[in-house]
Amino acid sequence: MKFYRVMAVSRRVFRDVANDKRSLAMLFLAPIFAMCVFGIAFSGDVEDVNVIIVNQDQGYTPPMGNTTYLSQTIISNLDTGVLNIQNMNNVDEARQKVTDGSASAVIIFPENFTQDAMMATKNPSSGTTAEIIIQGDDTITNIKNAILKTVSDAITDTMSEEGVNPALKITSEPIYGQDAEFIDFFVPGILAFVVYLLTTILTLITFVGERANGTLERVLASPVTEGEVVTGYAITFGTLGILQVALLLVIAIAVFNIIVVGNVLLAFLAVAILAVTCQALGILLSSLAKRPEQAIQFFPFVVLPAFLLSGVFWPLQAIPEWLRPFSYLVPPTYAVEACRAVMLKGWGLEKIWPDLAALVLFALLFLGLAVWSLKRGKK
Amino acid sequence: MTKEDKPAIETMGLTKRFGNFIAVNNLDLKVKKGEIYGLLGPNGAGKTTLIKMLCSILNPSDGSARVLGEQIPDGNIVSHIGYMPQETGVYMGLTVDQNLKFYGRVFNLDKNEIEKRKDELLKFVALEDWKHEMVENLSGGMKHRVSLACTLIHQPELLFLDEPTVGVDPELRVSFWDYFYQLRQKGVTILITTHYMDEARNCDRIGFMQHGNLIAEDAPLKLLEESGKDSLEDAFLVFSRRDENMVRG
Repeated sequence: MKFYRVMAVSRRVFRDVANDKRSLAMLFLAPIFAMCVFGIAFSGDVEDVNVIIVNQDQGYTPPMGNTTYLSQTIISNLDTGVLNIQNMNNVDEARQKVTDGSASAVIIFPENFTQDAMMATKNPSSGTTAEIIIQGDDTITNIKNAILKTVSDAITDTMSEEGVNPALKITSEPIYGQDAEFIDFFVPGILAFVVYLLTTILTLITFVGERANGTLERVLASPVTEGEVVTGYAITFGTLGILQVALLLVIAIAVFNIIVVGNVLLAFLAVAILAVTCQALGILLSSLAKRPEQAIQFFPFVVLPAFLLSGVFWPLQAIPEWLRPFSYLVPPTYAVEACRAVMLKGWGLEKIWPDLAALVLFALLFLGLAVWSLKRGKK
Repeated sequence: MTKEDKPAIETMGLTKRFGNFIAVNNLDLKVKKGEIYGLLGPNGAGKTTLIKMLCSILNPSDGSARVLGEQIPDGNIVSHIGYMPQETGVYMGLTVDQNLKFYGRVFNLDKNEIEKRKDELLKFVALEDWKHEMVENLSGGMKHRVSLACTLIHQPELLFLDEPTVGVDPELRVSFWDYFYQLRQKGVTILITTHYMDEARNCDRIGFMQHGNLIAEDAPLKLLEESGKDSLEDAFLVFSRRDENMVRG
């Protein structure tokens, strides 16, 4: 090995990078972007969880005294930064909100709550326990744990204020996600993310290759229209997306024993529409790159937003509030929501259609932009 | 003038600008049907840009052109055109056979027609033994031969060939030109760019291009006569200097 030859190669590579201003910018901008987005997205605790409180507590009236309601004190100590509280009188109606997805849990204070708490305080050996019942969507463990912690903290604060320490228990009665673990929450998200990542990147690199080796030009000099090129790619990658998900699902069920409650065909549908969107995005991005090496520069900007904002690894409620609206601009968010709803809650088309509609809109938008980018290349 | 008398290619003030750079400058060109017309010029002269406009791959900035009697861009004439790009334009991840099948289908040939044409063309480009080979494994010259076969599969009446014989050995080049003459006999028009000056002599007419302009055009022998030179390279230099002097004057 000769030092001068090594340095000649090294200098050539430096010059190559320096001559490509975009590569140079990406080398320094992409890590900054990654750091900021990671830092901001990771820094959030779960917030804005919609819960419904059904307070049936009759209170405790001591002889010659006023009625006290321990439940109201606990409720007043709940952290409203974490929980968005709505009050209802009817348990069944409240449960319906959870079933529909508009709330994450119903927190029920039974009618004897304060009375049982007072009994337990006065006579600890009686075995009486006051109970708070939480009936919720346990499919998202972060949210479930955030609710439990918030209620526990409120109980602790209340006992401290009141100077009592009765036997209190929190009973969890899941409406969705019985025995769900983090892997059950994670797998539907990763299905969507993998399809998004691989389809976008693969289409991007393939299409840049088509531009570089003249096949795109030759095809556009034939009867094939720009729309037909994009549609042909869409059919292929939509199909491949479905096959990827099928394979991943088989492995997830066989190896990790994940929960699958609903009709997986709906999950396939969501993923197929996502794959169509992603291949169109890949074609659109390819118009900005002349060589495959330049296409790779887009990876951080393609991967990171989906990775961090689409709810794959943590629920949207864990993303800082100001950043959360951007999640709804990222197509995988809707596929993740749809897959999770189908697989963990057993939701059908009548409930996941808004997510599918959003995916279809994104698909149409990106398909249109992809065709436009091909036509624009003629100018 | 009947449709048969109309030129295969006619440009009127055809111009293409990329920002401030003028790639093709106010070009007037006529190529007769059944003619082999050669475009010669250095790299950057505008030959490829001109071809791309005539194939409706690029839109002109100014001027107009008619190809096979139709104003371009026109989606209807593309099935009558064969375009061979400079960068081969074949799929490296497919075999020779698969490339031909793809381009055959794109031009709406049925299965039997594709099989028939494939066999003929593979024989013509001498790649019968390579038909199941991945194109990425072929030499540069062989890739060009695949590209030419793909251009001819649908039997177009007008061919745009951008450096079709690059990397091809001399013996095979001769057989390519025999084939081009046969196509001309059948009334096919060929617009060809080449760097091989000996090949340019095979054309019915040649156009010299420089800086986006057509600086001279005529039959090869007439160009040599007019320039007073024995070779087309020297003739090009004469016309090139003449053009530069006119611009300065």
